[in-house]
Amino acid sequence: MTDEFKQTLSSDEQLISATLGGDMTAFGTIVERYWNMVVGLAMSKIGEPAEVEDIAQESFMKAYSQLHSLQHPSRFAGWLSKIALQQCANTVRKRVRCKTALGCKATGVEELNAKEAEANEHRLTKKQIHFVKQTVRQLPEKFQKLIVMRFVGGLSAVQIAKQLGKRPGTVRVWLHRAYKILRKDLAPLLEEVKQL
Amino acid sequence: MNCEKYKKLIEKYVDGTINDSELAELKAHTKTCQSCREEFESCVGLENVVREAFLSRTGAEEAKASLMARLAAEPSAPARRIRYGPAWLADRRASIAAGILLAIGLTLGFAMGRASIVEPTLAEKVPMRVSELDGTVLVKHKGFDVWQTLEAGENVHLGDTFHSAVKSGFVLELEDKSTIEVNQNSMLALKLYNGQTQFHLEHGRCTAALESPHPPFFISTPHGRVEALGTEFTVTVE
Repeated sequence: MTDEFKQTLSSDEQLISATLGGDMTAFGTIVERYWNMVVGLAMSKIGEPAEVEDIAQESFMKAYSQLHSLQHPSRFAGWLSKIALQQCANTVRKRVRCKTALGCKATGVEELNAKEAEANEHRLTKKQIHFVKQTVRQLPEKFQKLIVMRFVGGLSAVQIAKQLGKRPGTVRVWLHRAYKILRKDLAPLLEEVKQL
Repeated sequence: MNCEKYKKLIEKYVDGTINDSELAELKAHTKTCQSCREEFESCVGLENVVREAFLSRTGAEEAKASLMARLAAEPSAPARRIRYGPAWLADRRASIAAGILLAIGLTLGFAMGRASIVEPTLAEKVPMRVSELDGTVLVKHKGFDVWQTLEAGENVHLGDTFHSAVKSGFVLELEDKSTIEVNQNSMLALKLYNGQTQFHLEHGRCTAALESPHPPFFISTPHGRVEALGTEFTVTVE
């Protein structure tokens, strides 16, 4: 069975069960499935691209080592997103502690923003990417998570509701609210991009 | 035109619950209805812009290889299914399972030895070896499907592909003592080109330090070939 095939067919529950049974490749499929979502969530909190990928890796390592304690395998993505955001919070806390107590050269927010702006080579300009990230970061916490899970992780509103243990109606309302705010705040940028 | 139905479909698009036939119907409608077209294009545009801004620099496949390498190298963090029941039973269960596995292994080994299954063979060795290695580096030999952990001192073969994980790297030493140092998060493949071994850096960074004088030396990348004019140069592919 090819990996693509496996990724399409196997549910999270099946992959988790296989991982717990010692099949490490099953966990590899989980990583492939949720890598973009976890990186996206970390990016919504942290500016430094290299640090973001470290956080994503650590999140998956932690999820792997604690997989046996997962109560609802059908809510794996929701659980993983909590781990990722916790890892981000720890990183930010460490950075602040390092900066205040030891006086070490931790990267400041402005520096981080400048660095993240350097790090892409896509259709959007660096400035535009920075603007999009900042706009998403200004959304309420619960909206940020939804936007990343929906647009970056590719989960539907129904799947997100299941993962977060919320009612689908609630998630849909939040998603559309977040969507409305983004459309308004990003309107000038969307116009620019459209004209390209 | 009554667009209520299509407005609902656009909402379903945002929710990610639209199916293929509904999407095709919506797209067909937007060709004739300007208001719905603008609305739909704006949704697609917003989604694309957010996805692009939050896109990972490392592909999911590459991230998977890195993590698998780390998990293979750090057996201290295995995921285990919780077993219920008294501990002595668990121990006994483990020993029974080990016994069964051993028996299966011995039977299979015997059967495979007799059946002479055709296995892929390693390509020819090239005159270089892994002189230094830090962290976790994986190698996939040509014709094999699995990634294996690379060890310092190992010989390398034509067609090998190397992948260095985060905070990992390695050095290939050539026959004339020239070296190629491959940094973290990099993928390097050895391929035959015009009868010579060629280095292909798929992504990441490597630094070649060549003994002088040296024959023409190239490193290929997805964007073109880089020729060494001096004795030391670095190639980066992002």
